[in-house]
Amino acid sequence: MSLAKVFLGSLARRRAATAFSFAAIVLGVSLGMAVQAVHEAALAEFGRGLRTMAGEADLQVVGGRVGFDESVYGLIAGQADVAAASPVIEFEARLAGRRETVQVVGADLFALARVTPALLPRPRAVDGKAPEPLAALADDAAFLGTAAQVALGVKPGEVLRVQAGVEVLPLRVLGDLPGMAENPRLVVMDIAAVQQRFERLGRLSRVDLRLREGVSPEAARSRLQALLPAGVLVEPPQAAENQAANLSRAYRVNLTLLAAMALVTGGFLVFSAQALSVVRRRTEFAFLRAIGLDRRRLFVWLLAEGALVGLAGGLVGAAAGYALASALLSVLGGDLGAGYFAGLTPQLHFQPEMTALYVALGVAAGVAGAWLPAREAATVSPARALKAGDEAALMQGRGHPLLGIVLLAASLAACAIPPFGELPLGGYLAVLLLLAGSILLLPLAAGALARHLPSGGAVPWRLALARLRAAPGHAVVAAAGVLTSVALAVAMAIMVTSFRDSVNEWLDHVLSADVYVRAGHQIGGAYLDEDLQQRILAQPGVAEVDFTRADSLRLQAGQVPVALIARPVIPDGRELALVGATQPGGGAEHLPDVWASEAVRDLYGWRTGQRVEVPLGGRRVAMHVAGIWRDYSRQTGTLMIDLTVYRQLTGDRLVNEAGIHLGPGGDAAAIVKTLLDSVPPGALEAALPGEIRAISLRIFDRTFAVTYLLEAVAVLIGLAGVAASFAALAAARRREFGMLRHLGLTRRQVGWMLAAEGALAAGVGVLGGLVAGGAIGLVLIEVVNRQSFHWSMDLHVPWGSLVVFAGGLVALAALAAVLAGRQAMRQEAVLAVREDW
Amino acid sequence: MLEIEAISRQFNGRSVLREVSLRLQPGEYVAIVGESGVGKSTLLNLIAGLDRPDGGRLALDGVDYGSLNEDALTHLRRDKLGFVFQAFHILPHLNLRQNVALPLWLQGVEGVAAETPAQQLLDAVGLGERGDSWPRELSGGEMQRVAIARALVHRPRLVLADEPTGNLDPANGARVLALLGERIREAGAIGILVTHSLEAAATADRVLRLSAEGLVG
Amino acid sequence: MNKRAFLLALAALPAWRALAAAPLGAARPVAPVTFAPVLPGRTLVFPRDHGAHPDFRTEWWYATGWLQLPDGSPVGFQTTFFRVRSGAGEGNPSSFAPRQLILAHAAIADPRLGRLRHDQRAARVLGGANAGSAGGAHYSSARTDVHLGDWSFRQEDDSGRRYRAEVSAESFSYALTLVAEAPPMLNGEGGFSRKAADPKHASYYYSRPQLKVSGTLGLDGRTLPVTGRAWLDHEWSSELLPEAAQGWDWIGINFDDGSALMAFRLRGREGQMPAAPGGVALAASQVSSGKKAKAGLAGGQAENSAEVSTAPQTGAQAHAEVHADTASQIQAETLWSAGTLRHADAAVEVLPPQAVAFTALRRWRSPRTGVDYPVEWQVRIGRRRLHLQPLIDDQELDSRRSTGALYWEGAVRVSEDGREIGRGYLEMTGYREKIKVG
Repeated sequence: MSLAKVFLGSLARRRAATAFSFAAIVLGVSLGMAVQAVHEAALAEFGRGLRTMAGEADLQVVGGRVGFDESVYGLIAGQADVAAASPVIEFEARLAGRRETVQVVGADLFALARVTPALLPRPRAVDGKAPEPLAALADDAAFLGTAAQVALGVKPGEVLRVQAGVEVLPLRVLGDLPGMAENPRLVVMDIAAVQQRFERLGRLSRVDLRLREGVSPEAARSRLQALLPAGVLVEPPQAAENQAANLSRAYRVNLTLLAAMALVTGGFLVFSAQALSVVRRRTEFAFLRAIGLDRRRLFVWLLAEGALVGLAGGLVGAAAGYALASALLSVLGGDLGAGYFAGLTPQLHFQPEMTALYVALGVAAGVAGAWLPAREAATVSPARALKAGDEAALMQGRGHPLLGIVLLAASLAACAIPPFGELPLGGYLAVLLLLAGSILLLPLAAGALARHLPSGGAVPWRLALARLRAAPGHAVVAAAGVLTSVALAVAMAIMVTSFRDSVNEWLDHVLSADVYVRAGHQIGGAYLDEDLQQRILAQPGVAEVDFTRADSLRLQAGQVPVALIARPVIPDGRELALVGATQPGGGAEHLPDVWASEAVRDLYGWRTGQRVEVPLGGRRVAMHVAGIWRDYSRQTGTLMIDLTVYRQLTGDRLVNEAGIHLGPGGDAAAIVKTLLDSVPPGALEAALPGEIRAISLRIFDRTFAVTYLLEAVAVLIGLAGVAASFAALAAARRREFGMLRHLGLTRRQVGWMLAAEGALAAGVGVLGGLVAGGAIGLVLIEVVNRQSFHWSMDLHVPWGSLVVFAGGLVALAALAAVLAGRQAMRQEAVLAVREDW
Repeated sequence: MLEIEAISRQFNGRSVLREVSLRLQPGEYVAIVGESGVGKSTLLNLIAGLDRPDGGRLALDGVDYGSLNEDALTHLRRDKLGFVFQAFHILPHLNLRQNVALPLWLQGVEGVAAETPAQQLLDAVGLGERGDSWPRELSGGEMQRVAIARALVHRPRLVLADEPTGNLDPANGARVLALLGERIREAGAIGILVTHSLEAAATADRVLRLSAEGLVG
Repeated sequence: MNKRAFLLALAALPAWRALAAAPLGAARPVAPVTFAPVLPGRTLVFPRDHGAHPDFRTEWWYATGWLQLPDGSPVGFQTTFFRVRSGAGEGNPSSFAPRQLILAHAAIADPRLGRLRHDQRAARVLGGANAGSAGGAHYSSARTDVHLGDWSFRQEDDSGRRYRAEVSAESFSYALTLVAEAPPMLNGEGGFSRKAADPKHASYYYSRPQLKVSGTLGLDGRTLPVTGRAWLDHEWSSELLPEAAQGWDWIGINFDDGSALMAFRLRGREGQMPAAPGGVALAASQVSSGKKAKAGLAGGQAENSAEVSTAPQTGAQAHAEVHADTASQIQAETLWSAGTLRHADAAVEVLPPQAVAFTALRRWRSPRTGVDYPVEWQVRIGRRRLHLQPLIDDQELDSRRSTGALYWEGAVRVSEDGREIGRGYLEMTGYREKIKVG
């Protein structure tokens, strides 16, 4: 172990390079860790909530968003397999006059005890008066856990005002929920009260079932499923948890990808640092080999240097990741602001396995980065290296162009790998292969660049170019880090630009009306009843109104429900953001048309022209897929059908939203004012398309803000890599600089030479990064996003920004090289040369 | 006993060494001198096992180099050879005692077991008080004294010194050479001093001249 | 199941001890519920009055009796179905509207176990689309037919002579056929049974004594054929008990000679009533609930009033100073008593308050709750003195951790002049007090 001093001690001698490698690994590990920790915490909390809610249920009967007919309860509760059945109606309701929503659960308080005891309410004494018997059954009685009482600012005996339709419902808080004390937004009421007061008569969201002893859930599930109407499914309680995990997985996956890229960048920085350090320590290694250190131990110890940097980075990164995660949780919430886990307050828990995994990833990055330099060092012949002055021999080879090409070809093949459990693993593999292949081709590219650049001009430029031609190794080492970070940044930039432009175009399609009116949150219990619909239609200046009903359906057991949008659809669907050819008109059988979003096509295999069955109103309704459209707002799939058809099939006359088209002389502001004045404050919301667009894009930008930050950090690290490599070599080149000064070069000219070298090195990396990044961007758009979000988008390359970015980076790299070399330049040239005499 | 029997070495078809033979007994300390390019370094590399001859035989204490693979040669160097280089090769991030202990570390000897002999040898080269000093605080002569201590710390059978005074001024060089001879003799090892300086060579027990004809005593 | 949870459920809910009297008016000021009044002079009409009377606040069918196992050993059984009109959900078209609730208790008194096995259920009566569900609770207004899931008590013939009780609990099950050989025995004035000096505290009440029982009993995984004799009470009311009532003692005896006796008394306060421990909410859930609402409801309500207002010393307490023979025994004040005696020749004798007197002879203290129950009684009926001895002392039904009910409901032997002359059931509620520690 004393040998550790010989090797690991040397890390301390090259602090800058070690620090940059360390920082990059810290960044990668901490990001990955934070994303993972936040997500795990949110999922655990979400799952815990679901599990508590599901209580001792063996199975659950579930349907779409507006649930299913309550007769399902009677049907299921009477089955021999079922020991106890607990009917539940559940939805989000807005607090009157506030933006927050609460989760209202209407339950049969008698059935809870045997199935989901955690939901049981406990009446509390108010002003010393014992709770009234049976008061919990009253139609305005509500129970809130202590956390919810605190969060919503109500105590037993007080009134909570909740929006029901366009009306405000005062609920008396009668007590708490001992089993749900920590849930900050749960309101439990009697099921009958909820059905009546929130206009959900005849509907249920869920029936929790406890089976008789000895009945297997699998067997009971298939027996019960056979009894149920279309679109109502029997699922194990954990299904919802899995679906929640699926829902947010794609989002997590993209953030994790960024973290992985930072980690890979870290690996490359370790590589450049180690490669340079190996060059500088050639004679040292030769000496050690001469006095008896064998090849294998030299190799292992050099890997250990990388591993140590990786380990330190991994440990610090893990700690920083937890810190970051807790900051993110408190600032953005469990979904990092993306809205998947509204209202949860997840607790961060130390997870030893996950932490160990990320620390191990850090070590792996360090080891991987150190691998090639260590191998190179171990193969050098000690007899020759013992003679000093052989430092120029830095990665003299042409690289491994053939292997590079093979890897690039393999990345193409990897794109064709189908998603693995909705994870675009093939896409990631392709990204990794692309990066590795590009780096292997880097020496070739550097050589080509050197050959094609004009070799005339000023002396510093000629010297720099000559150096690139003769010893491209140094440039390649510096460029590898740049390539990685530039590729990452460029890929994300292309992806985000394409995405944003596509969303922008999509918004044009979606926001065709002049004014939008809706009741409360779309997720929630808010709707416009027929009376209000008539009033909207009767407003002067209103030419046409697109009423929209939002629901959700379960097309397949185990899958998240797909959204159902019912609104007036122009028969040829031209107002939708269509993808590919359409076949409107119901096909040969003249069935009702349904327009499926891309996610439905990917997840359920629906194709244009296909005959499909849609569970509507408890029946399987045969429909014709008229076309595929883009829906950027729901990644789990959306079906759109004409409102008239929907109403015929379901009898549901409510709508959630109205898109008002103005006629001649129509005044949007006046109409909005009249409508809003006719209902209690806060019951209706109105928005102009411009506002909705602005809000949508703002949300979009906020979601991706974190990626811009990551890109900036990655690029900085790449530049730091350039600086570190130049700093490292500058020390070794003091004699060279001294000699040049002796020959008559001014100090400024040496500076220019360094700048040119930095620019050339960075230029190679930037060019490679642009190409690799473009390819990776394509993979992100066509493979990763398609597979994880089921969203297609049109390719938009931000040429202008990329040119500015590339140019800026080259300039910065030149500056970094000069700054790094200044120390060597400042040395008295004469002294430096004399050292050799 | 070091046996060199008719070894030859060619580089790119050019013969550098031709049928050189030499036999040295323990306690013998010889100097090899010769013109530049005559193959002194090549010969030294062959003796050190850093290079292999195209013909002939090398053996140390009866162990034939030809029977050893790369790793075994490395271990031979580690266990039985000591080196003194012109460029010192003192590791800057180890203190003097650690630098001297390095060959023992390579043998897996750690802690006090390594530090005690290292300190003894530092004492022997007159740097006993400086064990905790860092290489950057040393003069060239002191560096080479540390190197001599390092070359002998693990009781090698054969000590190879390649131009040990090349980077030193004459006064310091003389002191170092005297010390080297003294330490080699004391250790009872075989010593080979390679140099182009006749003055330096004179400090050895006997001087051999390497030329195209071979080693001549 | 999570026991604590069930406690919460029932505490939150019917608190059925108090159903008989507590007004629900406070729940929602709109549309207060008007319960049908119990008025004297109404003639009970059968078989219609075998069915439920949903306009009234509370109603129960209460079957108790002795069963004989194949080896000749006796066990007691109890089946109770309550129907409660909650006052909530009256105008609600939801099929889950909680207008009518069904609560059920079942127990087996097993001498070999030395205590009761018991279980209980509660559910709302479903309407609308779910009205016919086998999984819900249901009652019939036309005939005796009440069920809650797979627990049921049903009239099997149109005339109302055969009943079927089916219960499947966690530790026992039974399916019994009960056959009446005589028409219903109307208690009080032709079925109008007063519970206090104020005639508004009354119920409609008839009994079916001397029911012949046959069927099966499932215990410890074995199903045994059983026979025996039982008693059925059917009673409904809207405002049963006076405020001062603290508890209830009731007996229903089948004499070996074919005659039968129903007798009850309402007790006022007994001794010093300590403040209920554990605060109001806890107390609300711990109140002993009576058997038939008679006792249960009475006890519940009385206790409730005692706990909610720990201070007030009602008039009842001032009089509750009737001491028994033994110094340790305290006899409570009797607020009201009554009885019905049917002779073997079917002639019915209605017993006025002064003709019925209960005197406690021996007390037994529950090791679980520390409550003292008078388990051995002398009951004076006119000039007759009946001696009541329990099948087992421990027939306490402690379901405070589940339904919140705590009462004693058990099989008793009846002797007169040292000779056993009949068997029946004794129910005592409202005895919870002075839980001694250490």
